[in-house]
Amino acid sequence: MIELKGIEKIYNRGNEKVHALRGIDLGIGRGEFMSVVGPSGSGKTTLLHLLGCLDTPTGGTLTIDGIEVVNMRESELVRIRRSKIGFVFQHFYLIPGLSVYENVKLPLLFGRTEKKIDEIVSLIDLVGLKSRLHHTPNQLSGGEMQRVAIARALVNNPEFILADEPTGNLDTENSEKIFELLDSLHKRGIALVLVTHNSELAARAERIIRLKDGRLQGSD
Amino acid sequence: MPFLVLAFKNLLRHRIRSLLTLIGIAASIAVLFSIISFNRGFERGLARELERTGIHFMVVPSGCPHEVASLVLHGAVIPKFLDAEIASKIREVEGIALISPILVSQLPNPVKNRLDIAYGMEMSHISMLKPSWKIEGDIPESDYEIIAGSEVAGHDNIRIGDSVEYTGEKTFRVSGILERTGSQDDAFIYMPIKAMQELLGKHERVTALGVRVSDPGRLSVVTEKLAGEVPGIQIVTIGQVMTSISNLASSAKILSLSIALIAVLISTVGVMNSILMAIFERTQEIGMMRAIGASRFDIFSITIKETVLLTTLGGFAGIIVSVIGSGIIEGLVRKFMPYVPSGKMIAFEPWLAGLCIAFSIIVGILSGIYPAWKASKVNPIEAIRG
Ligand SMILES: Nc1ncnc2c1ncn2[C@@H]1O[C@H](COP(=O)(O)OP(=O)(O)OP(=O)(O)O)[C@@H](O)[C@H]1O
Ligand SMILES: [Mg+2]
Repeated sequence: MIELKGIEKIYNRGNEKVHALRGIDLGIGRGEFMSVVGPSGSGKTTLLHLLGCLDTPTGGTLTIDGIEVVNMRESELVRIRRSKIGFVFQHFYLIPGLSVYENVKLPLLFGRTEKKIDEIVSLIDLVGLKSRLHHTPNQLSGGEMQRVAIARALVNNPEFILADEPTGNLDTENSEKIFELLDSLHKRGIALVLVTHNSELAARAERIIRLKDGRLQGSD
Repeated sequence: MPFLVLAFKNLLRHRIRSLLTLIGIAASIAVLFSIISFNRGFERGLARELERTGIHFMVVPSGCPHEVASLVLHGAVIPKFLDAEIASKIREVEGIALISPILVSQLPNPVKNRLDIAYGMEMSHISMLKPSWKIEGDIPESDYEIIAGSEVAGHDNIRIGDSVEYTGEKTFRVSGILERTGSQDDAFIYMPIKAMQELLGKHERVTALGVRVSDPGRLSVVTEKLAGEVPGIQIVTIGQVMTSISNLASSAKILSLSIALIAVLISTVGVMNSILMAIFERTQEIGMMRAIGASRFDIFSITIKETVLLTTLGGFAGIIVSVIGSGIIEGLVRKFMPYVPSGKMIAFEPWLAGLCIAFSIIVGILSGIYPAWKASKVNPIEAIRG
């Protein structure tokens, strides 16, 4: 469970202050599937980064499973990211020199944890790439790369998957497949936050929240 | 897959760049290792010569600087000669076991139409004066036999048993050929001193006297006494000779070592540059790694492993290259040294190789600190935003 109360985020761009989020109150329950929509610059990515403990808010309180994270040290935030969060990005960010298998394993390296080969392989099977285990990213299509990225986000058994426009670089067909994959994760009990410009996909989530100028426009 | 493997795979992503950087490190470590090996071999060679020589000091005409005196031992033509009575005066001094006369002079070679440099000595003293020599064939037994240095023999295609003629209508038989020493000795011919004095028409003439004392512990007493009793001479102990050779060589050593260190420094900058470029290109990827659980320290650690891997592999490659190419390197370095003892100078010393590897690891750490720090400072939010 992630709870936000009165969250503010101000970026300093030189002397100028950018008010990216202005008082967000929001709760994301266990296993919930929520999509976030809003015009460009409305603060969607900023919100996602705060949820993922990649950044800390300027004001307000943010608790993850009851733990206040606003004043945490960087090392503690790293620990939360490792254990509870899985990130998926628009540009996939796979490491070109590593195979599918090695890319998926990467978070384990940082978490200093081990996982059986079988478990990793079945995870790759889950995203439908079992036959591509030893391929490198340049041998994969965009849709396949995003699947690898999703398997990578899952490898630490996170509570939350945070996806920032995961279909932004994909065609309609692949977008649909990625959405279905994410939806299947939700059905397995993982909470999902999906930032997207695709209103059709967004509408299929359990819940939509709309951002505008850093404020919640309401949700349904 | 530990960080080290990840670092290695990162290097493989820029094969050419990594390879070029590695070659730079390898070359500089090879030079460093070879030069230190050579310098150590040089000191060892000198010490060996000092230990094995059967004479304790040289007597030369006064007015010769030490450097010249030192070269007499290894053959140099000096235009001064010792008076004939000096040898007999020295012989009277107590504590002297043996005196060995040496004459170095040019001899006209009418067949080849050039001047050969001849070194005249008592052939029975050869093992004492030149303990490290290996001679193929025989030491001259009669006054009509000579030994040719390996360069002379090679140049004129001389074989054992051949004849060599010198002005004065004298023909000598080559009884032996001196095996390559790698020193100036290779360029001389060696002749019984009596025959050489006769050839030159100066029956008593000597360039220097090699002296052996009966009790090496009383060497200084003997030389002091000698200096007081016999005028017109200068005494140079073998220890002084070696020291002056060592001093002559030291500037060459310092120069060569400085060049090696500058080469290492340049290649260090190369490593730093190469990894900085890689970090710059991978900014987004670093941001992603931070997002999926890498700490600042993890990023620092991966980056510094890349530089250490590069320099360590370079260090190993450099050592291998210098071991394989030690013959060529030795030949090159010899050209810069005023005098080089006989024998092979570069010997593979495992501890020195280990030290050079350790040095290349340190170079890796030093060149990696800045890029690694830079990488660890990448702001994940800005990096991912692109
Ligand atoms: N690091 C930063 N420094 C300064 N301003 C920033 C920074 N990151 C974001 N902003 C600003 O904060 C506001 C919100 O940005 P954000 O990226 O969260 O929007 P978004 O809803 O994700 O937009 P898009 O749909 O284009 O991705 C924007 O005005 C943006 O310019
Ligand atoms: Mg965004």
